[in-house]
Amino acid sequence: MHLYTRSKGPFLAALAPAVIVYTLFAIIPIFVSFYYSLVEWNGFTDMKFVGLANFAEAFGDKIFWHSFVNNLYVVAASVFGQVPIALFFALLLNRKLKGSKFFRTVGFLPVVISTVVVSLVWGMIFNVRRGLINQLLSAVGLEELRQNWLGDPKLAMIAVCITIIWQFIGLYLIIFLAALQNIPGEIDDAARIDGATGLKQTIHITLPMIRDTLVVAVILCISGSLRTFDLIYVMTSGGPGHATEVLATYMFDKTFSSTRYGYGSAISVCIFFFSLALIGLSNLLLRRRAF
Amino acid sequence: MKRSGTRKWLAMLMAAMLLALTACGGGGKNNGGANGAGENGGQAGNSSGNAASGGGSKVELTLWNIWTDPSAEHQSSLKQVETFMEEHPDIVIKQQNIPHDQYKVKVKAQAAGRELPDLIQVWPGAELAPLVEGGLLQPIDDIVSHWDGLVISEYLKDYSVDGKVYAIPAQVVPTHVIYYDKDQLAEVGYETFPATYEEFKAMILKLKEKGLIPITLGNKGQWVLQSCYISTIGDRLTGSDFLNAVLYTGERKFTDPEFIRALEIIKELVDIGAFNEDFNSIDNDQQREYFINGEAAMMIDGSWGLGPVLDAAPDKNIGVAVFPAVEGGLGDPSAVSVVSGMGIAINANLTGEKLEAAKTFLKGFYTEEYFKEMLKASILVPAEIEAPAEVSPVLMEVKELASKKVAPVYDATLPPEVTDVINAGLQELSIGLVTPEELAKRLQDAVDKQKQAA
Amino acid sequence: MAAQSADARNRAARKRKLAWRTFVYLVLILYAAINVYPIIWMALNSFKTNAEFSRNPFGLPKTFHLDNYRIAWETARLEVYFFNSLFVAVAAVILTVLFGALAAFVFARFPFKWGNGVYWYFVLGMLIPIHATLVPMFIQERELGLLNTYAGIILPYIAFNLPVTVFILTSFMKSFSKDIEESAVMDGCGVFRVFWKIILPMSGPALATVVILNFINNWNEFSFALVLINEESLKTLPLGLANFSGQFTTNYGAQMAGLTLAILPVIIIYLFLEKYVVKGMTAGAVKG
Repeated sequence: MHLYTRSKGPFLAALAPAVIVYTLFAIIPIFVSFYYSLVEWNGFTDMKFVGLANFAEAFGDKIFWHSFVNNLYVVAASVFGQVPIALFFALLLNRKLKGSKFFRTVGFLPVVISTVVVSLVWGMIFNVRRGLINQLLSAVGLEELRQNWLGDPKLAMIAVCITIIWQFIGLYLIIFLAALQNIPGEIDDAARIDGATGLKQTIHITLPMIRDTLVVAVILCISGSLRTFDLIYVMTSGGPGHATEVLATYMFDKTFSSTRYGYGSAISVCIFFFSLALIGLSNLLLRRRAF
Repeated sequence: MKRSGTRKWLAMLMAAMLLALTACGGGGKNNGGANGAGENGGQAGNSSGNAASGGGSKVELTLWNIWTDPSAEHQSSLKQVETFMEEHPDIVIKQQNIPHDQYKVKVKAQAAGRELPDLIQVWPGAELAPLVEGGLLQPIDDIVSHWDGLVISEYLKDYSVDGKVYAIPAQVVPTHVIYYDKDQLAEVGYETFPATYEEFKAMILKLKEKGLIPITLGNKGQWVLQSCYISTIGDRLTGSDFLNAVLYTGERKFTDPEFIRALEIIKELVDIGAFNEDFNSIDNDQQREYFINGEAAMMIDGSWGLGPVLDAAPDKNIGVAVFPAVEGGLGDPSAVSVVSGMGIAINANLTGEKLEAAKTFLKGFYTEEYFKEMLKASILVPAEIEAPAEVSPVLMEVKELASKKVAPVYDATLPPEVTDVINAGLQELSIGLVTPEELAKRLQDAVDKQKQAA
Repeated sequence: MAAQSADARNRAARKRKLAWRTFVYLVLILYAAINVYPIIWMALNSFKTNAEFSRNPFGLPKTFHLDNYRIAWETARLEVYFFNSLFVAVAAVILTVLFGALAAFVFARFPFKWGNGVYWYFVLGMLIPIHATLVPMFIQERELGLLNTYAGIILPYIAFNLPVTVFILTSFMKSFSKDIEESAVMDGCGVFRVFWKIILPMSGPALATVVILNFINNWNEFSFALVLINEESLKTLPLGLANFSGQFTTNYGAQMAGLTLAILPVIIIYLFLEKYVVKGMTAGAVKG
């Protein structure tokens, strides 16, 4: 390592392109939008500086908090749904298994499919009148379990979370598969000789070796879940009656439907800090924990 | 040796970045002065500035609209632009066709950056007002007389702000029509449409007994219960001057018992099972399907719903009606919520030659021929013209219904924020998350807040 | 006796293995079915007329209505938008992965004083919904004269995809054994040579992964393209695909046809790169 410390030039040069483009085209617009959170602006007439009034309003806004709680459901669904399922399939498909290439490809497909198709198909699966789930329930004589999955505010979020889990398992699957390639063959062999097999080997040897990737996956889950927008917007538009509203859809409606750029930006600033807090928290937990 | 190696790499990297950027920038083929990455920023891309490159004496105007689908309405609008350009070889109309929902986002983002096109499709009332307030559009009062004798002046009102006209409408859009299957209603004993709300409810129950969906509804987008239902049902109870009284004079309030009664009617309809079970998880365009395939006996929709139904089920025996009289209502039982549509406004920045060209365009675009094409596309027009032979008789019946008394459409009248509250609120009401009283109070609070801010 | 019991143990083990295997395949087949279904559904419905779509959304098409593909081609202006998308996506992917890999290389291999800080600086960009940046981005690009240029959308694409790219690559590059480049440096290799000749080739699986993810993100990106591009000749595919749903109508058949055409490139790229994702596999694979 220290061999390099003689000259910093190359490191700076290597970092420069990423840092420059990222700062100019991500950080600056983000900070400008932070500034908007301090104004009242409809996008047509002049801005009016209002200090923290937008935040005060947000903190007193029931829908805002309700949306945040829905975001937490999505975070939980992702972290405890997508990650373990993806890890399970990644470990399975990382072995020599007949047809594993086929299953790997198929596992990735949902990530590729247009959100429009995903929401149409799952919307039909959950449909109360002729949806697949209710038809199945009727077919096996469980008529009374039929539900208005997307129309009942108590169930709609569950339906949405299931769809979101399904949609992004493939993303983590491929990330984990790539990470698993890094485990040298000798370690696997050594483990086998030592008699560590199956589950034991996975827990004690494989997982620690891809720990950094797991941390990255959890960070992606949290940041992705707090920004989640497309699927919900197309599938339920946040309804019925805000039941599936999340912060990003609420922010979008406030910005582009109510034309309150200030309030919308305040919500996105909150998304920013909520994510930061959650990521910090999960980072602490994951760092401390030894596999 | 190492140092020089580093420098070489640095240089190569910079070169690669520059190359990439210029390659990207240069790729922007015919975009006037808008590239030259960073050097000559400032005026580049200004809506009125980037046209002049056309050369010669041609005037180029940019026009944004939502004509993206293959419907007769959009296709004839596109054709009308083509025809105009053939007749005016010195004017070039450069269009951007963007689907409705995305169009609204784009216009708002570009308005915030004060970069609107020369000609822009606008929606009346509450959506037009902020564009005018922001000084982004200019009035066209000096040419309005061109349409004397064609466009009925009453319909210009929706496109007027503070007494000035900003666009000419090409459409008259009733947002509430009850389409019904005459045969299915006859089967349950109704040869004519019920005249009172109580009878209407009784009919709904009979239709339901027959295993039909009484009324098909797709309220996922949340605006249907507002635009197609409460705009007219509210009017039955409150009368047509209600919204103005709430918004401007404060003489009346959303918490008035008449309006609460209107909300109760929505709730009653839900409670007696008037709608398909999935009414909050399907869209306005999906609601039509239940009516088309005969699962539903009635459909409450705007006039836009007629064309697709006629296309898909030309043999269906369709009757039309409006919401029946409600006991104790202050409104005219024949009133229908109607709004004008398909107006094109002129950018405030246009001057001189371009402004003249823009006005020439409006004159050449809004013609009797165009209105006839709209009628053929099953769309009503703000003009008293003879309907072409192929126009559906059902459309003429809708016209008849809509011409008795006009009620305001809520989302064209209320400020956008209040519209958002009522849209979401009606959906909450429909699933029992909020009572009519609570919703009424929430609406009044939103109005009060708007007034305070103003 | 001892032999017999060993035999029985073997048999029991084989039985267990068989049961496990059956279970694994059942799970995989179920998983595959759930994943493939929407694609098949989309492809089947791309041949239906609108009326048939609404009457019979789940079944096979009665006749194969190929006209949808013609309508889709025209409505989504595929002949222009498709190639724009391809150009934008590929250019953005190459630059993002190049810049991201260089940065990740520094983060992973040379813990310098501010390294951790700069690494977390990249997290910030992932924490805000991009819709919040549409208006600031529009105004900024107007000032820079980047509106209506390829660069005007490629640069934001790079910027907003860098965080994920950097994270995945860093976590991957961290796991290489530490003495890899020490020997290389001993041999007199410069930093960039180490990167180019040693680290990059070793990162194959992670590079393939980020290329796939970046490509999908760029290929589907809608909001920036909507706001930052006015020129017909520069518009990208997602803008065209939105054309199928109007204000009050949706042409489902043609929409499905358009979407079916649009995912082909993604699937092709995935199939091409997938073998790199699992390249290292053969060496250490254990039988299931």
